[in-house]
Amino acid sequence: MARIDANLIGWIVLIAAAVFAAVAVTNPYLSSIVILIAIGALLGASLRFVMLMGEVNFALGAFVGIGAYTAGLLHTAAGLNFALAILVGASVSMVVGTTFGAITLRAKGPYFMLIGFAFTEAVRVAYSKFAVLGGTSGMVGIFPPRALDLWMPLIVVLTVIVFLVVLAIAERSDFGRILFAIGENEPVARSVGLNTFRSKVAALAVTSATAGIAGGLHAFTNNVISPGDFSFLLPAFALAYVKVGGENHFFGPILGAAFLIALSHYALGFGANESFLYGGAIVLSVLLMPGGMLGLASRAVAAVRKGPSSHD
Amino acid sequence: MKAPTTLTIGVVAVMSASACAVDPAAAQDVIKLGLSVPLSGSAANWGKGSEFMCQKAAEEINQAGGIKASGKTYNFECITYDNKYNAAEGTKVAQTLINRDAVKFIGGALGTAPTKALQAIAERQDVLLFTVSWGKSLKGPEHPMTFTQQNTPYEILPPLIGYVVKQHSQAKTVAMLNPNDATGQETEPVAKATYEKNGIKVFASDYYERGTTEFQAIAARIASFKPEIIDVGSTPPADAGAIFKALDLMGWKGVKVNETGTGADTLKETGGDAAEGVYMGSGVVFDGDTVSAYQRKLNDEARKLLGEDLNTIQIGFYDAVYALKTAMETANSVEAKKVAETLPDITFPTFYGGKVGFFGKETYGNVQQMRLPILVTQVQKGKLVQVHRIDP
Amino acid sequence: MQTAVQLMATALQIGAVYILFSLGLTLVFGVMRIVNFVHGQVFATAALTVAYALPTIAAAGLPPLAAYCVAAPVGVIAALVLSVAIYTFGFRYFQRDEIGSFILSIGLVLVLDGVLLKVFGGAVHRVPEVITGVVSSFGATVTLQSLVLCVVALLLATGLYLMLGHTKLGKVLRAVSIDHEAAMMVGIPYGKVAFGGFLIASLLAALAGVLIAPMSIVSPVIGTDYLIKGFIVVIIGGLGSIPGAILAGLFVATVETLGAFYLDSSYATIATFALVIAVLLVRPKGFLGRG
Repeated sequence: MARIDANLIGWIVLIAAAVFAAVAVTNPYLSSIVILIAIGALLGASLRFVMLMGEVNFALGAFVGIGAYTAGLLHTAAGLNFALAILVGASVSMVVGTTFGAITLRAKGPYFMLIGFAFTEAVRVAYSKFAVLGGTSGMVGIFPPRALDLWMPLIVVLTVIVFLVVLAIAERSDFGRILFAIGENEPVARSVGLNTFRSKVAALAVTSATAGIAGGLHAFTNNVISPGDFSFLLPAFALAYVKVGGENHFFGPILGAAFLIALSHYALGFGANESFLYGGAIVLSVLLMPGGMLGLASRAVAAVRKGPSSHD
Repeated sequence: MKAPTTLTIGVVAVMSASACAVDPAAAQDVIKLGLSVPLSGSAANWGKGSEFMCQKAAEEINQAGGIKASGKTYNFECITYDNKYNAAEGTKVAQTLINRDAVKFIGGALGTAPTKALQAIAERQDVLLFTVSWGKSLKGPEHPMTFTQQNTPYEILPPLIGYVVKQHSQAKTVAMLNPNDATGQETEPVAKATYEKNGIKVFASDYYERGTTEFQAIAARIASFKPEIIDVGSTPPADAGAIFKALDLMGWKGVKVNETGTGADTLKETGGDAAEGVYMGSGVVFDGDTVSAYQRKLNDEARKLLGEDLNTIQIGFYDAVYALKTAMETANSVEAKKVAETLPDITFPTFYGGKVGFFGKETYGNVQQMRLPILVTQVQKGKLVQVHRIDP
Repeated sequence: MQTAVQLMATALQIGAVYILFSLGLTLVFGVMRIVNFVHGQVFATAALTVAYALPTIAAAGLPPLAAYCVAAPVGVIAALVLSVAIYTFGFRYFQRDEIGSFILSIGLVLVLDGVLLKVFGGAVHRVPEVITGVVSSFGATVTLQSLVLCVVALLLATGLYLMLGHTKLGKVLRAVSIDHEAAMMVGIPYGKVAFGGFLIASLLAALAGVLIAPMSIVSPVIGTDYLIKGFIVVIIGGLGSIPGAILAGLFVATVETLGAFYLDSSYATIATFALVIAVLLVRPKGFLGRG
């Protein structure tokens, strides 16, 4: 009972804080950070979902990009409204993701990671070959209706929360447990009769759908997208959010995204020295906080609970 | 799990608070010029040089007494952020410059994708934007506050190609190569059309990926068409040198053009002797008698910082500052919209010597292009020599 | 002008470069299960040091070849110092942690990119041709320099393969890469072996950098350009397999050469990536992979 309560409280605080940030912050610069953190959190959570089954999905970059470009194209070329464009974009991304998974999930570990890497980069180069997508100069004009302008942070935050909840529920469900079992020891999971391959493909379907949503949101909040936005660095940073925040808990990637994205904005002011700060922060976090920030926090909480009577 | 979530909020709050610690009441009498340029990656030197040139121009103007408008004296300050050459970072930089730093004038934006991202935000907030990017769609009546600070293919190619064709009247065929990036995609159609207008047959027009390290196969392919002219378009000088070297090795001999080649140094570094005879449209010569002592001095300083000569991109950042000064004083206002309305009609002192203004109504529909001289240069005996100059 | 022989020669040249770069990558993964993104930076440091030092030394009056023989060891030492630092303060704590070491290397790459830019400046450096002249036979022309590179690459790869197969160090490295727990149980000092493996891999990266410098466009981003290709080669060849890296290096180079010649070069790039996917589907562990 105590664990469930703690988690529930965590969710309530998270939602309250996020909604508060989205609504109370009026400075457009700070709102843009809130939006970026929200999208980053969704990316980190999507990646972590696949990590449950023991794989690092570097194709995330392609899924986000496909969601973004589809939504953008539907809006600029076909005039589709913003909500529908994002949903269709995410559906396309899900189809691509499921197909990709069905084809590639026989490979495992670093091989799967590298197939994903190759896929993301191939798709990135492919965007630039199509003039209708704006080529390398980028696609412009992806704007939500003017009336919704002030509400965008709230809309983005709420959409992200909805899909975070979806991911959390999926993780808690029987499906999630199967993924966990696969991550622990796939041959054993198979030996008890589970169709591990089908579960893995299903996981990829889920993650590519949420990634597609993130992509669509990115397109409409940045208004301009370019192939360079969706390179292998996207999943690399998502992985950093997960690792720095703490991969052992659902909230880890959310915390990691908040910390690293806020930090990267702070680092911008350093001009050419930006990479030292940002890269250095990642290196230090990984070295000093093996379980991520949440790992550190829960050890601190446990130490406090144990009190001064711990053996030293 | 309450502690960690509160931790999140705390961290974000602290970061946000310090990140938006901005000088309130925009430190009186300072006009901030925002720059969105790459400061890392392969274009880092361009960005660094651009920042240097903006700062130089600002320094000169401030020391000479600043800008006098609407009864006050102002100084310029250049603020530079790294846009990493993509739209997502470009948006971040735009948000920071415009919404956090309250910048009203963008002294220069480098990289078409980040420039487009910047333009989207700038226009909604009536911010004046200078850019070195070539995209035709960046200018026009729908973008009244955007101005270009260097020559684009539309200005360079007709005189350049016309000159080369005249010099080599026996050459009737060309094979083209461009990088698969924004500059290449903008250059290719203009180049193709210009060659065809000059009666030259275009045998092939290829693209290659930036980041390619081995060029033998690419060179082999273009050489296989047996063209008399090989034009590598907007290929950066380093890659261009490697390509010409590979071509030389295969025994191909002909007319070599690097349309927007920006410097002989890098071309020679990688091309060696194969760089001999290459024509360039964006090269700037810093020795010889076409150059003033002042230009040479500035270039020497830049050389120390960057390890190579200045190029037209970076010079554009210098020119924009002077253009803004002149416009502000003419309009007697530092309000972005008024300054934007005044710019098309002024003439200002350019780094290239003399005074220039803006033009471009026929090509773009609006007067938004700096009327800069086009310098046709050629590598002769290992040095870059200016062979032709057109002042439009 | 372009015969099949010339194309093959080109593919061989390009392949040699990839092989040199990938040998170290595959070794590190095989032995330590670390995905080492920083390999590119070690390579770049060696190349940049040579590019910087050589003109200075040559200006003191030495002919290019001699100057190069002085500059090259300097480059190798610089790269090795860097990699020892990276190992001691970083990778040592991430043995066999694929994900952790990967994130660490991403952070390091960001920091080192900045460091390289600061130290060497953003401009492109030229390393003058050390061995001049061309060789023509069977209708193909290659520079003497790249011929030397091919020979050296072949020697290094063969040497490494023999070392792994027939020396004590090699046996120990292989033992660790096959089953590190069993190896530890028979008394093999894992920590020392891992460090040794990492050092050898860095040496290979440094040698690659020093050899490729005279033939390539040396700038601070050279590491990243080669890294992506390097990973493709290593995965197709099979992580941890030296013969695999050799085969895959040649394979990728051939695909690229043919693709760039018959198609547009950027389509060739897409084709290369598509091929990675195709190969991995048929042989999920690469051509010769075990890991």
